[in-house]
Amino acid sequence: MASELPPIPPVIAAEELAKKGEVPPGPGPVTEGIPGREGADKIRRTITYVVLAAVSLLFFVPFFWSISTSLKTLPEAAGFDLLPADPSFRAYREAITTFNFGRYFLNSVFLASVVTGFNLFLASLGGYAFARLRFPGREVLFFLVLGTLMIPHELRLVPVFQMLSEFPVTHWNLLGSYQGYILINLVGATNLFLMRQYFLTIPKDYEEAAKLDGAGYFKTYLRVMLPLAGPALAAITILTFQGTWNDFFWPLVIFLGDETKYTLPLGINQFRSQYSTQWPELMSASILAILPIFALYVFFQRYFIAGITSAGVKG
Amino acid sequence: MKRGNVSLKLAALVVVLMLAVSIGAGVSAGKRTKGQGPVAAKAPSGTVTLSGWSVGATEEKLLKQVISAFERSHPRIKVTYDAIPNYDQAMLAKFSARRPPDVFYLNSEKAPTWIKQGLILPLDSYVKKSKFAVAPFYPKLMTAFRANGKTYGFPKDWNPLVLQINTAMLAKAKAKPPTTWAQLKSVAQKLRSVVPDGRPLCLAAEWQRMMAFVYQNGGSVLQGKTPTFTSPKVRQAVEFYVGLQKSGLGNSPAKLGAGWCGEALGKEKAAIAFEGGWVYPYLPENFPKIKWKFFPMVKGKQAGTLAFTAAYSMGTHSKNKEAGWELIKYLTGRTGMKLWSSKGLVLPARSDVKVKPPGPSRTPLLNAAASARAWSWPSGFDKVWTVANNELGAVFEGKQTIPAMLKKINDEAKDALD
Amino acid sequence: MATEARTERSIGSERVREALVGYAFVFLPLASFLIFFFYPLGYAFYISYFDWGPLGKIETLGLENYRDLADDELFHKALKNTLRYTAVVVPCQMALGLTLAVVVNQALRGRTFFRAAFYFPSLASSAAITAVALYILASDGLLNALIGTDKAWFAESGTALESIMGLNIWTTSGTMMLFYLAALQAIPTDVYEAAAIDGAKSWRTFWRITFPLLKPGHFFVGVVSVIGSLQVFDQAFIVSGGGGGPNYSTMTVVLYLYNQAINDVRFGYAAAVGVILFALIFTLTVVQRLVFGRMEAA
Repeated sequence: MASELPPIPPVIAAEELAKKGEVPPGPGPVTEGIPGREGADKIRRTITYVVLAAVSLLFFVPFFWSISTSLKTLPEAAGFDLLPADPSFRAYREAITTFNFGRYFLNSVFLASVVTGFNLFLASLGGYAFARLRFPGREVLFFLVLGTLMIPHELRLVPVFQMLSEFPVTHWNLLGSYQGYILINLVGATNLFLMRQYFLTIPKDYEEAAKLDGAGYFKTYLRVMLPLAGPALAAITILTFQGTWNDFFWPLVIFLGDETKYTLPLGINQFRSQYSTQWPELMSASILAILPIFALYVFFQRYFIAGITSAGVKG
Repeated sequence: MKRGNVSLKLAALVVVLMLAVSIGAGVSAGKRTKGQGPVAAKAPSGTVTLSGWSVGATEEKLLKQVISAFERSHPRIKVTYDAIPNYDQAMLAKFSARRPPDVFYLNSEKAPTWIKQGLILPLDSYVKKSKFAVAPFYPKLMTAFRANGKTYGFPKDWNPLVLQINTAMLAKAKAKPPTTWAQLKSVAQKLRSVVPDGRPLCLAAEWQRMMAFVYQNGGSVLQGKTPTFTSPKVRQAVEFYVGLQKSGLGNSPAKLGAGWCGEALGKEKAAIAFEGGWVYPYLPENFPKIKWKFFPMVKGKQAGTLAFTAAYSMGTHSKNKEAGWELIKYLTGRTGMKLWSSKGLVLPARSDVKVKPPGPSRTPLLNAAASARAWSWPSGFDKVWTVANNELGAVFEGKQTIPAMLKKINDEAKDALD
Repeated sequence: MATEARTERSIGSERVREALVGYAFVFLPLASFLIFFFYPLGYAFYISYFDWGPLGKIETLGLENYRDLADDELFHKALKNTLRYTAVVVPCQMALGLTLAVVVNQALRGRTFFRAAFYFPSLASSAAITAVALYILASDGLLNALIGTDKAWFAESGTALESIMGLNIWTTSGTMMLFYLAALQAIPTDVYEAAAIDGAKSWRTFWRITFPLLKPGHFFVGVVSVIGSLQVFDQAFIVSGGGGGPNYSTMTVVLYLYNQAINDVRFGYAAAVGVILFALIFTLTVVQRLVFGRMEAA
């Protein structure tokens, strides 16, 4: 059914931006065709490239240096050779096995995946309802959703800490449990907002066609709306995964007492406070934390940028 | 009509599913923690959970030996021991969840705060019921765990600050161990040539060390409810301690290239340190070639030093209190205490326990009992010490003056005592 | 007739059904917002009037926590550090973000590559990137080797906060660049064409035309950057091991809040710090919304 439909309407601002990577460059000062300016232009252009290359070097050198160190031995890490004399993955092996970063990596993968899954489902379901279904109080409730964006998460530290340690009514102890972390991250308001905005841009014809075919609301959501919302879902997937993967604050609050639940960022902090100068291992752990997100970015660049700018500009 | 039903059902199904997942998660979490402390209301039996902060391998091994000795003498009780990293926060989480371990370490510094919060169980009724003798415990250590006339824990051990001196260096400099402030200066002067930086004293920029000198000067920072940081006796002592650094006789461990003074001693960056019994077995294990001994703390106007202690306590919401009390009774009792202090890691908190541990003579430590005061302060004082140590760091760096520091700490203490 | 009536009734019940389904679909997200956002908000306000511990109320204080905060020197220090951090980081982020955006918005070869290069640091986990910074800025680290010094950047009170500033300017300017890119691309091309016909030089075109037209962009980036700066925590926590040292130079408002709550177990007091932070951020956000609302309406 989805294959019969025309391409997705790229209406939200972010979506347009996402495409800009492939289309001609944005408007800049027009200098071509003005007599006498071509020579100066060439020089200016060369300078721009040189500066750009220098700046991007500045952005890359720290990563390069940490990768290089992660492949060195400890004595070698004290020196300043650009490349390790005898590159080995020893530090990675040490970090993963002896210092338990393998476990932390899996914890991070698990939490980021589950949280992303819940966000995808709940944000799209809620976004669909707010965009399409009519029910009394819809606007007020949506305003409430937006209101959550104004509550800084630090303010929630003590209440959430207490709530998770003894959940009201049920008396669950969720502090130090994966469930506690997942529960407070079930769905983000930004994600819900993003989905609603995206659904608003989809013409109603599709749903009406589905309705005539006898589909109910959930089926319409699942079979018609979701397949049309690919880019928004992709943006949410990447943003949520990255956000959870990099989160330091809540794992610190929830998991600090239980080493087996550490995520990579928490593990890195604990490792560094205990073995302050074991640089190769610390750098290996950092690379383990950075690389998956870089890879994600390289593969899904346009959704990434779309998500970030729309979350920001509109949210 | 039909389609509406289907979607309604689906929606309902989804909601139910999600709820079930969350509840299932929660319940399993709840169950797991509950499973750790089966309730045994009256008879002292079952499993007792025991928690403490992470300690070195030697100490952990010793504690496990003591625990198995307890289990042998109390066959109906099984002890589950956990060393918890990030102890304070982890315990806060457990207290908050109303699921503290049955028995746990209580640091004398944290004790007032935790007691005030109602987290710690008063042990008086248990003491009375089992006729546990309190008299053998050193009274100065006991005060750290008493509040409102109640006892909230029994000290598991203690450790005072004394001198550790590299005896080889001392011999090389042809000097004798110092016993007074004046001698400390002159001996340090002689030792200057035998250490790499020419600063033989390791001086931590911490009130947890400097306070010993305040006591030696007859000073005190708290008179009842009034902070007296700005009193002349305190100021003189601080001037003396800081003066050792300013005059080039000593330096902070960080500046000497060590994490703490024990390490500075081990790395032969310093010849004299003011630490406690905990330098053993650290020094022989990490720096076996160093020749060193314990010496009595120097005297000022009077003998004085600082003692650190921790207790075994139970929580208000501990599950297995009866069996927990049995464990505390054993660990802090004569037999348990003797076994626990036999290896020389700590000193017995009871005057009726005499041990002959391996390693250097502990006499200087044991003799400190008479003049030592426990590091124990009113609730809310944690913050005062954070500020105080920060200020002292600034004084060491030359960014703050001593009178200004004392004034600032005094104000902070006033606020804390309000 | 009969058929029509039935249709009307079914339309009515269809409405009800739609509403019910709507409520069901938004139930879980809303429940989660109520339980984990609004309830904590109210709870934090409530307990800020008490001496509050893990087991609940210890003493009723009224406004005393707030009065204590008013002359709590450490809190002042944290506030001062945070404001100083904000005052330095925000303009730098904006300037750098804008410069990068203008540059990669030009018709250059390898634009995508450069954009990715500038954005990379924004992607990385704060903990990992701080670890990398600790390594490079260590007293025997790469930076000192390159410039011939032996400063322990994060361990001296004169440079610790500044180093965090530098680190965060470096990592987040990529995000600011993206925001500016979006704003730049919203400017219609004909504006530039008109300028070019007038023979305006590119530098002047930028200052006379582009820069003023970016006003909404400046405003948005500014507010996002200020809010982010007021909440700085991760880097300060990691470099100081949670203590905010050396000499409280890296103590920030959020780090102070964390320490009050978790280390000193003063839940009510920590909540009061949170309420003040909330008031700051709330005001900023409302201002942002109001101004943006007016802009969108215009």
